[in-house]
Amino acid sequence: MLDSLQPLISGFGIATTMQNLFYCLMGAIVGTLVGVLPGLGPIAGIALLIPATFGLNPTSAIIMLAGIYYGAMYGGSTTSILLNVPGETASVITCIDGYQMAQKGRAGPALAMCAIGSFIAGTIGIFGLVFLAPPLAEAALAFGPPEYFSLMVFGFIVLSNVTGTSLIKALMMAVVGLIIGTIGIDPVTGNERFTFGSVPLLSGVEFVAVAIGLFGIGEVLVNVEKPLDMLKAKVLVPRLRELYPTFQDLKRSIVAILRGTGIGFGVGLVPGPAPVIATYASYITEKKVSKHPEEFGKGAIEGVAGPESANNSACQSAFIPLFVLGIPFAPPTAILLGALLIHGVNPGPMLIGQHPQLFWGVIASMYIGNFILLLLNLPFVPFFANILRIPKKILLPLVILFCITGMYTVNNSVFDIWVMLLFGGLGFLMRKWAYEGAPLLLALVLGPKLEVAFRQSLMISHGDFGIFVNRPVSMVFLLATVLFLLVPVFRILFKPKKKGRSEKFES
Amino acid sequence: MKKSEAITGIILFLFGGITAVFSLRMPIGTFRMAGSGLFPLCLGLLLMALSGLLLLTIYFGGERITEEKAKIVFIPGYVKQILPFFATLVLATLFFKELGYPLTSFLLLLSLLRILGVNRWTTNVPLSLVTVGASYLLFVKWLQIPLPKGWIGF
Repeated sequence: MLDSLQPLISGFGIATTMQNLFYCLMGAIVGTLVGVLPGLGPIAGIALLIPATFGLNPTSAIIMLAGIYYGAMYGGSTTSILLNVPGETASVITCIDGYQMAQKGRAGPALAMCAIGSFIAGTIGIFGLVFLAPPLAEAALAFGPPEYFSLMVFGFIVLSNVTGTSLIKALMMAVVGLIIGTIGIDPVTGNERFTFGSVPLLSGVEFVAVAIGLFGIGEVLVNVEKPLDMLKAKVLVPRLRELYPTFQDLKRSIVAILRGTGIGFGVGLVPGPAPVIATYASYITEKKVSKHPEEFGKGAIEGVAGPESANNSACQSAFIPLFVLGIPFAPPTAILLGALLIHGVNPGPMLIGQHPQLFWGVIASMYIGNFILLLLNLPFVPFFANILRIPKKILLPLVILFCITGMYTVNNSVFDIWVMLLFGGLGFLMRKWAYEGAPLLLALVLGPKLEVAFRQSLMISHGDFGIFVNRPVSMVFLLATVLFLLVPVFRILFKPKKKGRSEKFES
Repeated sequence: MKKSEAITGIILFLFGGITAVFSLRMPIGTFRMAGSGLFPLCLGLLLMALSGLLLLTIYFGGERITEEKAKIVFIPGYVKQILPFFATLVLATLFFKELGYPLTSFLLLLSLLRILGVNRWTTNVPLSLVTVGASYLLFVKWLQIPLPKGWIGF
């Protein structure tokens, strides 16, 4: 145990330098803003800020970008509680009881429990990361190309299964992402593929352009299509002294926070939009175990504390597959993988040994970041809530300008802006026909790794596909993949008989 | 709705087919020593298969969940904002290098604000000027990013 704490202490030394503290604070502030503003999620937020990290060392860069990710989880809860407007998808559940509490004049305790719960969950999540990551990294050293291939296929299938409305459509988007990922120079033979004589395409399609296009420009276009009325709802901003929860609130919330932390940590380790699933799982659990389930939906504090703890814990544990295996299981961590690669760091089992300052520095910074967010979120709630008063018709052009400027600065290339616009238009149309962008982005980032693993496996086995099932770990992943693929089939086979209208609504 | 969903399936089917055709022009190799074209060929065929499956489920009504939840609704009155909005982005990108960053971003902001209904010149011009000035100071002066100067020269 002490072996793990020693490098963590040195990580605190790295994270508490003035430079890293500044970038941690910047990440926390930008993340909170991203979480507060509906329409600008953590994916676009991280992608937009990548160019701003080019002059930094990798540790400072990842400290800031990670801060945006977990900061967005904090920020999202503020608008959910005060305005019934979820800043990002992981805060949708918080609206249910959070807004009801605010309506009853209890916005203060709701916000306080969000912040306290998030802090506790983030802290426990970090300790989980500290103690789980090193042994997992050692175990992952035994992984060869077949295991990596099967794990990535498993990740795609699970993500496709839990994202959006249709498994087929999600899988199609993953395949489209993989195809786009093959554009450029073949990583094995060095041949050109699908470049059609274009020099900028030789290095492949810029993933930042795809991310900003799909999740930034696409979202703006969706908003442009909607009525752009100013927010007219009354913001129920509590005063600082009203933020203190009562002893009863704390008593009711503490177990929910601990349960939410456990659920979130577990969910964060598996592929999918972990914070979103974690909040739903936590809310359902709290409602089931509660002695007063009738209070849920009417302002139960457990319905706020549990899910908010779960989404923060899931954020922390989502770093484990990224750092230990080099495989992100969700789009925000896929963007972070891209950022790490841009900074010349290849995450995987060797990361802890090769870049200890980065690994332990980033982990320590998460702890500091959680503390900063706790201090930042409570006193500045009125400020963040009032940001929502900026009319969308002013906000959207500003987001566009920032997207275009940010995109150009990645490679100083107008070609990247074209790619961003193309994917922005596609992102808008994809939303219309319920095609999810997340599998596409994840596949684009992981595509080259998947292809190399696939080809290396076949080279090792002299062209025998049996290598994927003959190796036990690979076989387990493939079996799990098949099970997940069969889930929709089971759903259809064992679908309950048609319910009446009222029963349907109840369910 | 069913018809428009089927069109997306057909488009993706064609995309898979085109990918497969172009992959065949590259060395395919063997499974033991895969060439550059093998992986994209497999992906093209897989996309065709999945698109075919989607079309079948739409045809037989099995993909009901997407019909219920897909938001294939273009809001009347607001959809007309999308085209000029997107066209402005295209124009700004087209003249980004020639006009330079400060001028392009000023014209872009001004146009987008007007398209979205901020019509008062006393609001949209100062807002555009202040935003462009602030972003110029941030990106060019502070972060030292070489943004295009264009013919105005700064």
